[in-house]
Amino acid sequence: MWRIWLLRAAEFLGSIAGVILLVSLLTVAAQPPHGVWFFAKDVADQFLRALTGDLGRSATTGAPAMAVAWKAFPVTVQLIASGAVLALLIGLPMGFLLSAGRTLRAAAPLLQIVTAIPVFLIALALVWIAVRSFHMIAPVHPEDTSLTALLRHGDWNGAWFTYLLPILTIGAAGSARLQMALRRAAGAAWAAPYRNGLRMMGLGLLDINLRFALPEIAAALLRDVREFVLTLISAAVIAEWIFQRNGAADLFLKAISSHDWAVVSSILFLFAILTLVAGFLGDVLASLIVSEDRP
Amino acid sequence: MSDVVPLLRIRDFALQGAGAAKAEVESLSLSIHSRDTLILLGEAGSGAGAVMRLLTQGPSPGAKINGTIQIRERPEQPLGKSAKLGLRTAYLPGPHANVLNPHENIRSQLSLVIARRLRQPRTSAAAELDLALQRLPGAPSPESLNLPPAHVAPEALAAGLLAAAMAQTPELLLADDPLGELSPAQAQAFASVLKAEQERLGFALLYSAMRADAARLLGGNLLVLRSGRLVVEGPVSRLATVQSHSYTQTLFRASVPGDGMAPARAAARGEPLLRAQGVQLRRPGKNKDREKITFELRRGASLGLIGEIGSGRRSLARALLGMEPVAAGRIVFDQVDIGVLSSAMMARLRRRVSFITGDDDALDPRMTIFDTVSEPLRAHLAMPRDLMAHNRDAALKRVGLAALPGGRTVASLTPFDRRRLQIARAIVSQPLLAVIDEPLHGLDAFAQSVVRDLLRNFRSNEGAAILFVTSDFGLARAFCEDGFVFKDGRIVERGAMSTLLHAPQDSHTRKLLDAVAALPGASGAVAKPIGAATPVEPPATGRA
Amino acid sequence: MNGLLAKTDNGRHIPAFRTVIGAVGIAGLGLTAVVVALDNVIAHAPAGAAHGAPPLSPPDVGFVFGTDALGRDVMSETVHALAVSFSSAVFATAIAIFIGAFAGFALVRMPLGAGRLVRFVSGIVRTVPALVLAIVLVALSSRDFSTIAVGLAVCPAIFNRSFDSAMSLARSRHAMYARASGIPGFTLLRRDLVYELRVNFMYVAGRALAASATILATLSFLGFGTVPPHRDLGLVIAQARDSYLNAWWCVLFPALALVVFILCARWAATDAGGEAS
Repeated sequence: MWRIWLLRAAEFLGSIAGVILLVSLLTVAAQPPHGVWFFAKDVADQFLRALTGDLGRSATTGAPAMAVAWKAFPVTVQLIASGAVLALLIGLPMGFLLSAGRTLRAAAPLLQIVTAIPVFLIALALVWIAVRSFHMIAPVHPEDTSLTALLRHGDWNGAWFTYLLPILTIGAAGSARLQMALRRAAGAAWAAPYRNGLRMMGLGLLDINLRFALPEIAAALLRDVREFVLTLISAAVIAEWIFQRNGAADLFLKAISSHDWAVVSSILFLFAILTLVAGFLGDVLASLIVSEDRP
Repeated sequence: MSDVVPLLRIRDFALQGAGAAKAEVESLSLSIHSRDTLILLGEAGSGAGAVMRLLTQGPSPGAKINGTIQIRERPEQPLGKSAKLGLRTAYLPGPHANVLNPHENIRSQLSLVIARRLRQPRTSAAAELDLALQRLPGAPSPESLNLPPAHVAPEALAAGLLAAAMAQTPELLLADDPLGELSPAQAQAFASVLKAEQERLGFALLYSAMRADAARLLGGNLLVLRSGRLVVEGPVSRLATVQSHSYTQTLFRASVPGDGMAPARAAARGEPLLRAQGVQLRRPGKNKDREKITFELRRGASLGLIGEIGSGRRSLARALLGMEPVAAGRIVFDQVDIGVLSSAMMARLRRRVSFITGDDDALDPRMTIFDTVSEPLRAHLAMPRDLMAHNRDAALKRVGLAALPGGRTVASLTPFDRRRLQIARAIVSQPLLAVIDEPLHGLDAFAQSVVRDLLRNFRSNEGAAILFVTSDFGLARAFCEDGFVFKDGRIVERGAMSTLLHAPQDSHTRKLLDAVAALPGASGAVAKPIGAATPVEPPATGRA
Repeated sequence: MNGLLAKTDNGRHIPAFRTVIGAVGIAGLGLTAVVVALDNVIAHAPAGAAHGAPPLSPPDVGFVFGTDALGRDVMSETVHALAVSFSSAVFATAIAIFIGAFAGFALVRMPLGAGRLVRFVSGIVRTVPALVLAIVLVALSSRDFSTIAVGLAVCPAIFNRSFDSAMSLARSRHAMYARASGIPGFTLLRRDLVYELRVNFMYVAGRALAASATILATLSFLGFGTVPPHRDLGLVIAQARDSYLNAWWCVLFPALALVVFILCARWAATDAGGEAS
């Protein structure tokens, strides 16, 4: 058993090293080329610097790129976390509902209409509903104020456009992903042959579902955390851009437009680490819930 | 002595599944008394499984069900009204039935079942399970069941399942063919333990069987079912003889290995096809001071590797085919030392080897019937399409699969059809060596008799040498001229099959022979093929 | 299996409802292809042409989908944009499948674990969302290569799936028995490719098409996609963003076209007896 954990830890650390190498490659590749040997040498130098957290300096501000990225990162993390909570609140019940019973399972493809809507359309639709149905006013330049401050000042308009609509956008994208993963996991769990066997041996369905099926579903969802986080990050990129939030995702787009590759690399690094850590934790928790032999 | 009033009586049970075109069971009546054994014998689709399902979990939603049920002297009730029988029952499945969660440990799951059935706390239920396990002779220790089902030997799992059933002190034990997929020796041991427990606890045993071996081992009364209808009923002792219905005779004959004739040695056998010289098998973590195996297998000859799972027979088979490295020694296949071959050359050599196994995953489930049979022809021989099609169709006809659409996928076939498809694939390969590994595993009585005949036909027509891996001495006797008997990674006895059968030297060989009661040489047992006048001794159940 | 919902296909019982969805998806894609091929016939005006109509006029008899801020017929613009989106997505999908799927199958059999190394690298690349990767690739090259960038961005997901599938097939018991009876590695590779194509092609292609269409539209919306005057649906929607709050038709109809296209691709990926897409 300890070998499996050691292997997993080695994979995780190897992946982090791989991410650092990738962003180093990107930083060097964005510069003008001057020969294969120099390219390799530059990548190696950049990799060694990156190991100490130095991914260069921002071409726009001159500040250390990692510091610039890190400063904007909490806004993105906050949005992603809030979106994840919303996704769980919507996606979990929907996923369970759609996997229970033949009729509901058969109706599932129709719900792909919702999952087929790109995130930017969801954001535009939410803005349209807020303005046309609830008569809100979309701010031209949203202020960078905390949600509690906005609510304290009674600025519902600001609160909606600065926080709630982006969170709804990200939450909608996340819940679509989550309910798909849940339906798949639940379908596999309901079809497992042991359920019938244990029923014949005298266990009740509630016992079987609570004791065996639900942990397997939970483990399957935890193993899918990486894909879930990727969906949330993608949604965050769009939401921050549309709703003009000054997070890392918005900074990423600005840095790309201004060819500030050091900042781009730093933000990619942070996104990748977020995904890797979430995936690793998900795998660890899944293994604790349901032990499986490594393939 | 059993009660006068039946413990359970079912009258005119009829069942048609939701949306099914045909009834699964038609007007079946049965009754069973305490301490009695009642065996429902029939091939797949006979309706025996429907009776089990009815008594364990009630009818499935939407099914049409008729008939009545009576428990002891209580009033008769319509069937299907309630899943609860008002009787202490326990369900005993086989170890390969996938009834347990594959990720949780066995002991934990069985304790939970006992706790729920007896309405006890888990700790008490675990203690009951341990106690029941300790009562079973030869059962594993409770600690050895603290593993998931895949990590435990089938006989250990079977013992755990039996202990869980016994811990519930049932009045009626519903056994869903637990002997079916055990080797003959294991089945014999398990049956005697089951009978001893029945004697001790006094429960009635309702047993659903696909093969007549269980009837021979357990005795009692027999209901023979076919396509949902009752064919005949009566004591096993009477039905296992020539006085029974012809269908019943066929079922019993199918469980008797061979027709009493061992295969004749091939007259002209030519050069040795396979030669092992001082071969020592490699066993990681164990004592490497293994015996050195030397033998040769001539063209057209047959060798049985006989033993239980884990005895080392498959290790030898894999080593002989170069699939596993050996610690020492030399293996020569078709006059080529395989130890010096590259993997590419070894692959070319293996073209002359075919496999027929009881493993349902041996064929690619995505492939069609035609593709499965044609693949060796396409891969190994540059044959024109029409000739390939001709050979393919001939092979399918020989195994009785010609009527199936060739575009059907392997995934859609029953285990019986897949077994026959493997034989067809082996036929077109025209192998020098056929490795046959537990070919009857998981098949019902009829399927077994058909596959046995096909294998006999294959052996006599194709002329391939045969390496037969089995735990059943009866099968080995029907197909092999010589045999190696394995135990714990060693060959405990070897020789001509006639010598092994008539003068076994080793106790393990005798034990494996004893498990197949119809063979000569089984110590204390008399040969009892269905044609013999001597019936099987009924066990003391107290019922006529 | 319920007889009302089941039908047999090569002896396998599959829920008929799912194949209806798949058939609708494929039919939808076919219809889209027809519309795209006949876009110059169906549309009332060439792409970008103004009719001299009043800008931002709502749908009426003359302009069924209304007009946009420059007085262009929204229906014509939607049809032309759909043509651009469709052809770009198909091209990106072809790149993704050719590089991702085939490479995934072929690399499993590479010696010395080279395939596993590529799989590891692909796993690293997949720590970044495909949209973000596409943006980076566009920025490194140019917007003219946005279609190729999206194809490459979708590659890692398809490669990983193909590689993992091929690896589990190579380790399966039936492959072991086949190798033990001398079936060459090339025959096994061919067997896997043929059957995976037969069974899973629609699933993989449908998913890749849906992903490509979504990412291409999003790229264009964010300003990294197609370059005007060739406008795809994402760019049409982006350019209508300033006015859509009052002129909803400028965004609704292109959005519907985009959603229907993506939905048909997803439905087409709903294979018989396979995974839900």
